[in-house]
Amino acid sequence: MTDVFSSSAALSPTDSGAPSAPAPTDHISDLLHKVAREDRAAFAELYQATAPKLFGTVLRILNQKSWAEDVVQDVYVKIWHKAEQFDAKKASPITWMVTIARNSAIDVLRKHPLAQRAPQEELDLIASAQPDAHSQLENEQALRQLNGCLEELEEGRREMVRLAYLNGWSRANLATYFDQPVNTIKTGLHRALKLLKGCLAS
Amino acid sequence: MTDRDDLDMLAAEFVLGSLDTEERASVTRRLQHEPELNALVEEWEVRLAPLAEAIEPVTPHPGVFARIERQIDAIQATPVAEPEPARATAPDNVIALQARLRRWQWSTGIASAAAMLLVAVLLLQPRPEPIPQSFVAVFQQNDQQPAFMLSVDLSTRKLSIRPVTAEPLQDKSYQLWIKADPLGPNPRSLGVLNDNFELDQATALSDFDPELLKQATFGISIEPDGGSPTGQPTSPAIHGYLYPTGMDTPEQNR
Repeated sequence: MTDVFSSSAALSPTDSGAPSAPAPTDHISDLLHKVAREDRAAFAELYQATAPKLFGTVLRILNQKSWAEDVVQDVYVKIWHKAEQFDAKKASPITWMVTIARNSAIDVLRKHPLAQRAPQEELDLIASAQPDAHSQLENEQALRQLNGCLEELEEGRREMVRLAYLNGWSRANLATYFDQPVNTIKTGLHRALKLLKGCLAS
Repeated sequence: MTDRDDLDMLAAEFVLGSLDTEERASVTRRLQHEPELNALVEEWEVRLAPLAEAIEPVTPHPGVFARIERQIDAIQATPVAEPEPARATAPDNVIALQARLRRWQWSTGIASAAAMLLVAVLLLQPRPEPIPQSFVAVFQQNDQQPAFMLSVDLSTRKLSIRPVTAEPLQDKSYQLWIKADPLGPNPRSLGVLNDNFELDQATALSDFDPELLKQATFGISIEPDGGSPTGQPTSPAIHGYLYPTGMDTPEQNR
């Protein structure tokens, strides 16, 4: 199984004679453009390269494998149909695909709130993101910058941001866990998000 | 706090995932027709994307990809189960079909709707399967919006037309045309649509062989009130091809 984030897997060996082989991001973009033209082989390659990341994303939110597999199935069907809407100028292909996966998983979670897992289990999962050895340079820079900005938040708000983004927790879930009124959570999230926006823009 | 700030925070929380069910559904709806909100959401998606680096990749069950392929096959064999009545916003299956139609156009080398007036293109499913009796055609105006949907039941040769985005015209008429090789080089009129988007005679197809209908191209042109005075389209027509709806065909694995 290849993975987008491994530095070598997505490089095409046939391009070795070219001055520079395409970066993995470019390769995934190429695959998406081919998928937009209904290229099934490219779709299979795209799946091989990205499914672990998207499945990990969905599983983290839904916490149940068979359920997450159903959602991932829907996600790739959506990717097949929406591939021509992908715009490399707006987002990286992985960001675009992860967005589809997160939106689908969160929509499903909101419809079935009982699937929420125990909070302590969640917290064990929110260790700060570290760039893995294979990350691309641009990802690393963006991650380092965002981590730096997250560090400026007070700890509770940092946890809130991660629990919402990674685990799909709603304001109400956060309110229960942090034992605060929903409005306080909302205000706290807004402060955190504004601070992040300002910090990232600086 | 300004409205713009409120909108930005709504976009941020939508991307963060913290909105409750109703607010989330509301934003999802608004994204369809609010470019400003859409742009803010896209900015937040990029801004927060590095958070996803913390997600450990997990390999899904090996059977998942086969399920995905089967689902895509099934959708392609079944573009629309039943033509939807017109709504303010196009339903999902119309959007999917619209995207697919555009791809068909690329794959058949069609440049633009206006330039390709009534070109006959054979659109049969790429694999052998029992011949379904129900067909649907989508007419799109400008490669963006489906304007009409035409459904044809080949066993009875009845057709019905539903507007998707098309509006009734003042002092003009929509006219439906058919073109197929056995009918010669020129389109043949199937009739003029009335204000309810109905053909005056519902039996317009009864003279045509079902095999011919499956290979025909249908066109809709805008004509002077009452129909073309020349017997031929006097404006560029928007065109559509019949797709089998395939409801009665069992899914076949490849």
